[in-house]
Amino acid sequence: MNFKEQFILNFVTDNRWTNITTGLIHTIIITICAALIGLVLGMIVAAVRTTYDKNCESLKRRGGLGYIIMTFFNAVCKLYLTIFRGTPVVVQLMIMYYIIFASAKNGLGVAIIAFGINSAAYVAEIFRGGIMSIDNGQFEAGRSLGFNYIQTMMYIVIPQVIKAILPALLNEFIALLKETSVAGYVGITDLTRGGNIIRGVTFSAFMPLIAVALIYLIMVVCLTKVVGIIERRLRKSER
Amino acid sequence: MKDNALIEVKDLKKHYKNGAVKALDGITTDITKGEVVVVIGPSGSGKSTFLRSLNLLELPTSGSIMFDGEDIAAPHVNINKHRQKMGMVFQHFNLFPNMTVLKNMTIAPMKLKGLSKEDAEKKAMELLERVGLADRAEAYPSQLSGGQKQRIAIVRALCMEPDVLLFDEPTSALDPEMVGEVLDVMKKLAKAGMTMVVVTHEMGFAREVGSRVVFMADGVIVEEGTPSEMFDSPKSERLKSFLAKVL
Repeated sequence: MNFKEQFILNFVTDNRWTNITTGLIHTIIITICAALIGLVLGMIVAAVRTTYDKNCESLKRRGGLGYIIMTFFNAVCKLYLTIFRGTPVVVQLMIMYYIIFASAKNGLGVAIIAFGINSAAYVAEIFRGGIMSIDNGQFEAGRSLGFNYIQTMMYIVIPQVIKAILPALLNEFIALLKETSVAGYVGITDLTRGGNIIRGVTFSAFMPLIAVALIYLIMVVCLTKVVGIIERRLRKSER
Repeated sequence: MKDNALIEVKDLKKHYKNGAVKALDGITTDITKGEVVVVIGPSGSGKSTFLRSLNLLELPTSGSIMFDGEDIAAPHVNINKHRQKMGMVFQHFNLFPNMTVLKNMTIAPMKLKGLSKEDAEKKAMELLERVGLADRAEAYPSQLSGGQKQRIAIVRALCMEPDVLLFDEPTSALDPEMVGEVLDVMKKLAKAGMTMVVVTHEMGFAREVGSRVVFMADGVIVEEGTPSEMFDSPKSERLKSFLAKVL
């Protein structure tokens, strides 16, 4: 079989290309939704962790419920980070699908939640690292002007943090895009599985898998370009 | 208790590691309105800790700090309200690098006092005029020299119209030729009647501008008095040997 016949067999016959497009759409949906969950949840976890680290002493001094609550939430967040960064995302996905949401019919939804919660753990550490990298003098300057802790964070620290971590954050989302390729384990037709379905029918591996790889590559290269442009912009504004 | 005392510090202690390290070991002093208190002493004597305790950037272990009719060292005090009236100038300036000079100065008055942008900027420009930096209003901190940064830091604190200004070694991070311009601004402020507490190694400034000099060592006030008492006829051995080294 020559190249043309191969191509027709793998993509044109029986509209087999739709496996790829359906998969691509699912991959993109999972990535975007999981990234949003990751961003929001990650910020919350980072906020708890840094608030505890930075205010531990004054909370302890005030005593009472505030300190106990913060200590509790901080411990929960730490446990969460340990578990979700310490186990493979495929295992987490399968546990979510077959155990926690065993009765759920919507595989896509479960995958979004699983990847979102997993990504949040990494986003949280990126945020925390960013906040910790800001010189303590910036906090003190904000507090000495009379801003409370939250105001100091909102007006002084977070704008500097976002600038510092934006490239790392976007890279995390690029990694997330590639990680969603294991969604096939729980029966979702994502891009990878779409290609694999074609392979299963045509018994020819080359075309569908290379096509899948190329599509991932194009998406990642484009996103990396975007990160590069943003990075350069940020550096420029630093003067 | 004096009527015109602005800050009354009573038996202030700051211990670390469950009392193994005593950064402050019972400081009692009053800071009067319009006074320029200069705190001197060897490094590790607790003078910076003392200054930073006054606006609770360091949390004291025990003791009281009366300010504005309230013991601000007590737990459950809204320290943010009080800090608005206690400006602070840091050794490393701590300007916000992502904001212009003008934004650095107006953000606190706008967000905390509800000043309009126009009013805040008008006030900021007046202050910049006073320190000769009006032309740098739109500059970013990274474009300024150390001396300029510190002068901006001083006027940033002044934008909140504080009752007292705390200076934590304001000239220690500066190149020698820039120390003068910062001290000049501080002198002008002192002349204008600003209450100031200054931790510094600039003995010339202490002698010339200070209305009272406090000598600290090992977390306690060893000796205090007018500049001439302190520099011309020191009583304690600690102060004598300190002055012999630094003068």
